[in-house]
Amino acid sequence: MMPPINWPVIYPELAICITAFIVLIVDLFLPGRHKWVLSLISIFGVLVALQIVFMNFGLKGDTKAFFGMVVSDATGLYFKTIFCIGTLLAIFVSITYQRREFPEVGEFYTLMLLSTFGMMIMASALDLITIFLGLEMMSIPLYVLAGIYRGRYRSREAALKYFLLGAFASGFLLYGIALIYGAFGTTNITRIVELIADGKPYSPFFVGVGSVLVLIGLAFKAGVVPFHMWIPDVYEGAPAPVTAFMSAGPKAAAIVAILRIFVITTPVIDLTWVFWVLAVVTMTWGNILAINQNNIKRMLAYSSIAHVGYLLVAITVGGEEGVSSAAFYLLVYTIMNIGAFAIVVLFAEREEFYENISDYAGFGSRFPFAAITMTIFMASLGGIPGTAGFVGKFMIFSGAINHGFYWLAVIGVLNSLVSIYYYLRVVVAMYMRQPQTRLVDIAISPSLMIAIIITLLLVIQIGIFPDNWLSLAKQAASLAF
Amino acid sequence: MAPLSYYLILSAMLFTIGVWGVLRNRNALIIFMSIELMLNAVNITLMAFSSFLKDFSGQVFVFLVMAIAAAEVAVGLAIIVSIFRVKESINVDDVNLMKW
Amino acid sequence: MSMLIFYILAIVAVVSALMVVTLRNVFHSALFLVLTLFSVAGIYVLLEAEFLAAVQVLIYVGAITILMIFAIMLTYQITSKSIRQVNEQVIPAVIIVLVFFVLSLVTLIKTSWPVSNKSLPGNNTFEIGRQLLSTYVIPFEVVSIVLLIALIGAIIISRQDGPSRPGQEDR
Repeated sequence: MMPPINWPVIYPELAICITAFIVLIVDLFLPGRHKWVLSLISIFGVLVALQIVFMNFGLKGDTKAFFGMVVSDATGLYFKTIFCIGTLLAIFVSITYQRREFPEVGEFYTLMLLSTFGMMIMASALDLITIFLGLEMMSIPLYVLAGIYRGRYRSREAALKYFLLGAFASGFLLYGIALIYGAFGTTNITRIVELIADGKPYSPFFVGVGSVLVLIGLAFKAGVVPFHMWIPDVYEGAPAPVTAFMSAGPKAAAIVAILRIFVITTPVIDLTWVFWVLAVVTMTWGNILAINQNNIKRMLAYSSIAHVGYLLVAITVGGEEGVSSAAFYLLVYTIMNIGAFAIVVLFAEREEFYENISDYAGFGSRFPFAAITMTIFMASLGGIPGTAGFVGKFMIFSGAINHGFYWLAVIGVLNSLVSIYYYLRVVVAMYMRQPQTRLVDIAISPSLMIAIIITLLLVIQIGIFPDNWLSLAKQAASLAF
Repeated sequence: MAPLSYYLILSAMLFTIGVWGVLRNRNALIIFMSIELMLNAVNITLMAFSSFLKDFSGQVFVFLVMAIAAAEVAVGLAIIVSIFRVKESINVDDVNLMKW
Repeated sequence: MSMLIFYILAIVAVVSALMVVTLRNVFHSALFLVLTLFSVAGIYVLLEAEFLAAVQVLIYVGAITILMIFAIMLTYQITSKSIRQVNEQVIPAVIIVLVFFVLSLVTLIKTSWPVSNKSLPGNNTFEIGRQLLSTYVIPFEVVSIVLLIALIGAIIISRQDGPSRPGQEDR
């Protein structure tokens, strides 16, 4: 019998949640021009949570808590680190933008923090119903964040689309959970594994349908083809910092739930071939559609779909190697993607003019630092050696080869080659095209600068000295099995 | 009392009608109602299992799902009404939704 | 007797659900939704879950559909009807729905369900309350925060004060 309550396990979640409420209350007493204080409080709160996450790596004894509802294992903690880093960077990216575009909405940070709280719940949940609630906790603030930009109609449209399709997906997820509950009489993942080990009879076909429904629900959130149709429009319509935020954390949260349900616990149903097909379709479709995009946010949206495809390769591989490479790749992806969006936010300083790739013409000579940074992020997203993205892709594809998924690795590598083409388009536009109009000056705000420098340093550092980060990811995976 | 499978088939029918409503309609409000139908179908399943397994956790789930549905309604209707205020239309074709 | 009640409730639920998704007038759809939700509450009573039947009526019928009808009144002239409500995606919709329905039917019929012979403790309100505050305390707390954030989110979305920047209204 596990200890009923084990508070330290949920300290990181509590830290985030309490910070969110402090921000909410302080917001009431702050006049409009002092709202920047809120971002400082949020940053401090996330840093505290990150510190607690690191301390929890050393937690001794039984790490299950609250009647087996949540757990604080190495995988969960690793993903919580990713969420904290993503949120931290996203807050840095948003500060100036929020001050300029929606200064009166101080609840912006509350929404972001509570969404992070939901992701953390998903990462630590050991019960299907808790995973579902974490997913809703994560999504509902995101629906609002996508539509927070009251000046722009497209933002509201994005919110509506995200909301309707998100709620639709939750319906599938719930139906799947209900069927699994019916088959086993419980939704606790550990309990289900025990029941199967004890030889409890169950109908594999039926549990299979339940699992597939759960998978559909999570695939919607992660943006797996064919459940990806909301991604481009929502990413384009939402304010750029919000897009940066939701392209990283929520995907990682959906992936960690998939890992927990389908990979880490002894899988009830072997879905390897389903993941194989999904991986191939997602990579290929995302990359093919990204080629033709002119809007940079749409391009990054399709590229994020392709990246989910690479992650699915790791999930197909499964086992320790699959989990560790997926975890490592998600960390890398979070950093480089938010970095790229930070540059997009920077170039979008004046109204929202600079959103088309062709608008980036001439930036190479006009804004040398920003342009070279963007080039590095694009190289990393494309997986060019020397960057973090390369290490991540290498780990995934070498894992696929080690486990005999040769075709998957070949298709993946071919896809990365295709992707380099459209990432290079941005670089070509910046350095080789002449600007159509006179370029206005851009003042880089300190907070945005911090985000850009942190991401840049991390991308280069992970790219050249990946060992520490890799061993962390390996440890996260090895303790899970 | 009706056997378990009757309840499950009823629930599957309601769920399917809900899915149909989401895929086929272009009015945001009706899509939303269809989603509520789906959630109700799930609740019937949970409730039926709970009652036949003699296990209360299913009823607790139903309770939680209802709370989540209420939360979604609050946010969703706010979004729908705010869209209407700008565009005077909530047909999802007009708002460029559902481009599959 | 209870079989007969089940059939009546099931038929009412399914027929009015069909009405919800096919009617042309949104307001009528909402009214049929109320009917479906009521019959679902009836089903709960048949399953001996009186507490949740009451909650179903209070939350779904009392709050959710009322909110929906408010939204309809804010966005439509109720009298103007017969706008075309359906889109063109008949074939994909039919395929998806058929596949889904057949799959779930086959599943449900083929499976033998683990039916327990224990008897439920009599007072289900008490038992739900006990479980919510013991085993399911984490989900319970998360749900309370979800409700709070939904409240805040709805206010943020519908708050229309504050100047919207000129030239940004790209409708």
